[in-house]
Amino acid sequence: MNRATAEAPLDSNAALARALPLRRGLAIAVAVGVSYYLGTQVGFVLRFPPLTPSVVWPPNSILTATLLLVAPRRWWICLLGALPAHVIALHSVGWMPSPAVLGFFVTNCSEAMIGAGIVRWFSDAPNRLDSLWRVSVFIVGAAVLGTFLSSFADSWVASHFLGNSYWTVFRTRFFSNVLTELTLPPVILGIASIVPLAQQRTTVLRRLEAIILAVALVSLSMIAFAPTGRIFGQIPGAPRTLLAFLLPFLLWATVRFGPFGVSSSMLATTLVAIWGGASGGGTFNVAPNLESVMALQLFLVVVAIPLMCLAAVIEERRSVGNALEERLRFEQMLARVSAAFVHWPSHDIDFAIGTWLRRLGEFLGIERIVVLRIVPSGERLVMGSSWAAHGFESPRTKIAEREVPRAIEKLLQEKPFVFEPWASPDEALRDELELEQGGHCANVTIPLVASGRVMGGMAFDSLTAPRPWPEAQVRWLQQVAEVFANALARKETEDALRASEAMKSAILTSLTSAVAVLDREGRIIAVNTAWTRYAHEPGTVTYAGDGVGTDYLEICRRAVRENLVHSAEVLSGLERVLAGEGELVDVELSSPLTNSWFTLYIVALERAEGGAVISYTDISERKRAEMQAERMRQELAHFTRISTMGELTASIAHELRQPLAGILTNAQAARRFLELTPPDLNELRSILDDIIADDRRAAEVITRLRDILSKGELRQQQLDLNDLIRDVARLLGSDTIIRNMRISLELHPHPVVVSGDRVQLEQVLLNLVVNAMDAMAETPNGQRTVMVRTERMDGSGAHVAVEDAGTGLANQPVERLFEPFYTTKPAGMGMGLSVAKSIVEAHGGIIWATNNPTRGATFHFALPWRQKDLS
Amino acid sequence: LSKKEIVIAVVDDDVSVRRSLERLLRSAGYAVETFAEEREFLERRDRRKPACLVLDVTMPGQSGLELHESLVASGRALPVVFITGHGDVHMVERALKAGAVELLGKPFEDAALLHAVARAIASQPS
Repeated sequence: MNRATAEAPLDSNAALARALPLRRGLAIAVAVGVSYYLGTQVGFVLRFPPLTPSVVWPPNSILTATLLLVAPRRWWICLLGALPAHVIALHSVGWMPSPAVLGFFVTNCSEAMIGAGIVRWFSDAPNRLDSLWRVSVFIVGAAVLGTFLSSFADSWVASHFLGNSYWTVFRTRFFSNVLTELTLPPVILGIASIVPLAQQRTTVLRRLEAIILAVALVSLSMIAFAPTGRIFGQIPGAPRTLLAFLLPFLLWATVRFGPFGVSSSMLATTLVAIWGGASGGGTFNVAPNLESVMALQLFLVVVAIPLMCLAAVIEERRSVGNALEERLRFEQMLARVSAAFVHWPSHDIDFAIGTWLRRLGEFLGIERIVVLRIVPSGERLVMGSSWAAHGFESPRTKIAEREVPRAIEKLLQEKPFVFEPWASPDEALRDELELEQGGHCANVTIPLVASGRVMGGMAFDSLTAPRPWPEAQVRWLQQVAEVFANALARKETEDALRASEAMKSAILTSLTSAVAVLDREGRIIAVNTAWTRYAHEPGTVTYAGDGVGTDYLEICRRAVRENLVHSAEVLSGLERVLAGEGELVDVELSSPLTNSWFTLYIVALERAEGGAVISYTDISERKRAEMQAERMRQELAHFTRISTMGELTASIAHELRQPLAGILTNAQAARRFLELTPPDLNELRSILDDIIADDRRAAEVITRLRDILSKGELRQQQLDLNDLIRDVARLLGSDTIIRNMRISLELHPHPVVVSGDRVQLEQVLLNLVVNAMDAMAETPNGQRTVMVRTERMDGSGAHVAVEDAGTGLANQPVERLFEPFYTTKPAGMGMGLSVAKSIVEAHGGIIWATNNPTRGATFHFALPWRQKDLS
Repeated sequence: LSKKEIVIAVVDDDVSVRRSLERLLRSAGYAVETFAEEREFLERRDRRKPACLVLDVTMPGQSGLELHESLVASGRALPVVFITGHGDVHMVERALKAGAVELLGKPFEDAALLHAVARAIASQPS
């Protein structure tokens, strides 16, 4: 998806978000204009003939109600919408100077603004009239003060532009406006906010009751205010007594239907009374007409005010009772949800959440509840579980942060997000648009917080009708959400634990090494599949037990009794690890039957109860490679030695020829002397002595290569032994790697210079280091280090030490080590050390060996700084 | 000239070779003088000029070949029989080119040496 198309929907959404207030403003303006216009028309109609002032004047009250419903920052839209309606309406009645038209508009608006302003200022819920305080504020502010104050201006406009009497206008206008304010706005407010609620809660019986009440009230009003009184003529004291008949029905409405009922009844009564008055009959039809109107107004106002207060008191009581009842129901619900989640096993929590979402939804009378999970970066919400009432769709599975920025911001602050279409603040406009497009009529989203972490939110969606979310309910939902959040968190923790266990088990299973876990007593408590396979493999090493439950220590003890290779080491290692005294043991085992090799590791089990983990790793491949390398190395060593010998052949031959020549010549001379008469016996004895000495010398040449070498032809040069040792270490680098060994150098910081033959001295080091490595074949991995040190001996020469951690020289006669063909190794030729000795001595040096205090042996040689000619 | 008056000089660093040669040549009737190194030979005070020089090729210090070459160069040339423990082709060539009578590899037959010495003496105008 390229950038342009990706951003296009966003741009259009943003444009829509900008367009939304405009569209809404326009809608409000048009609605206000239309109602205002209709209101004026109704006002003109509702007059007693011949053309008294209007008994009720709806436009101002419509404005008041609108201003109570619409936020003050949008009031100007309402007023602007009313202006054309006002102008058109007044012009339709007849000519009036424009300043008067505008003047009346201003006074009408001022009445609504004063009234709504006072109510908004003092009332805690300006658009509701369900408590005594709210009703009182409304009566005093909107019905009395607003009308009273604006009437001064109104009367001035009427007297100034139309020449009417100031106080007459004041009186008629004031009373008609008070009556209208008392009856109309409560009805409008009720329709705007109570009706949607009432729709949900009303039963058929209640609707029936309302209808009966309405019919009865209207009928009785018609009788009471009827122009011709066939019926009321027969009632004593009629028509005045008839007014008393209205009272029970008004009280009925008050008690049963609250302030909305009162206002509706009063409005109905008023309309019927005006109809009666206009028809020229009824109780208040007294001359002059103006007086009749005022009498009617007074009567209605005086009745309406106490009834409204009474209704408010009753409503208050009822709502307190309802709230208590509701609270109780909520508490019960909450208790049940909590109990359910506590007992539910974590793997069933998803199902439980589904069930309880449905119950909650039905309980709250909403259409959908969605559990949303917030991703860690907070950039989107992802749907978890959800419930939707029959016939309603599940929501989208993902919601991006930019779609509901305010909601996510609130969630992250651990605060609920409430969407009520009539009361959402501007900063939530983006969210509002999104929710409205998603078909939401109202929504509250409660954060899901568990152990201080916001996991997401629970969205309670009303999809058919708007509904308010009072604070108490939101608080209660927060408690519910807490229960859900804890359940989700528990499930998350347990899921993570299970996943981790599954992962561990999978890892164990997929290991190619055979692994067994032992408890503190050495009993096998877990094995992997490789172990089982390995244990049943024919010809396997005996250390693999059978399986879970086997006493592994016993298996090891049996191996020791049977005197198996390394068994003592394994047993003591295992005992050490189980006792917590050791951490890691590794032993290399071979199985001659299968020609395979294993490394056995015994590791302490990292847990409070102790135990050990045993693993067998097949190292046959590596071992075979090692052996191959070993063979090659040995061949190389052999070859090197042979070639060294080859190079020395000439000098060896020379050394041997000297005594041989002496012997032959002496013997032949002796033969000649024997032919003399008499033979010179002294001469012959001397010859024989020389022959014997020469023969010894020749034997010495053969047994001691030193003499041969000392007469060999060598290329002498100045050498830094440090360089030489580095070369040798480099030369053996790959060999050490294959053999799991290490050559560590501790060289004198300055060059250690001697004069000698490079190739031969390299041969010495090569032989000593290879010898050291051979000695460490049985040394545990990690300790197989050959240490090569050089130091300068004061004034006399250089000292080189090659230290190993091998078997040491324990049972070997040290003086024989350097003899040719003396070897402790099966494949060895026994030449390495003797060649080294020959060379070192040829260089005027000495070679010797010592046992290390801890482990292994050290071979030393020392060379003089400058020795005499080698030849 | 009696054989007793014929002096054969032997130069070899190996004492055994020296002694055995001395015995062999003596048994053949020659007078023998032996030297362990060239320097000794060059510093000898005997008036009698050796009739033949039996010279070891490989010795510490100056080699036998070099000694012979320097004798030739200084006009004191003697017939030389070389003996050697090594004896490679190059050495034989060089020795013969320098006027050596024979080059014998150690160990050698008595007849071969005596024959070579006899040839050397014969090659010398008396």
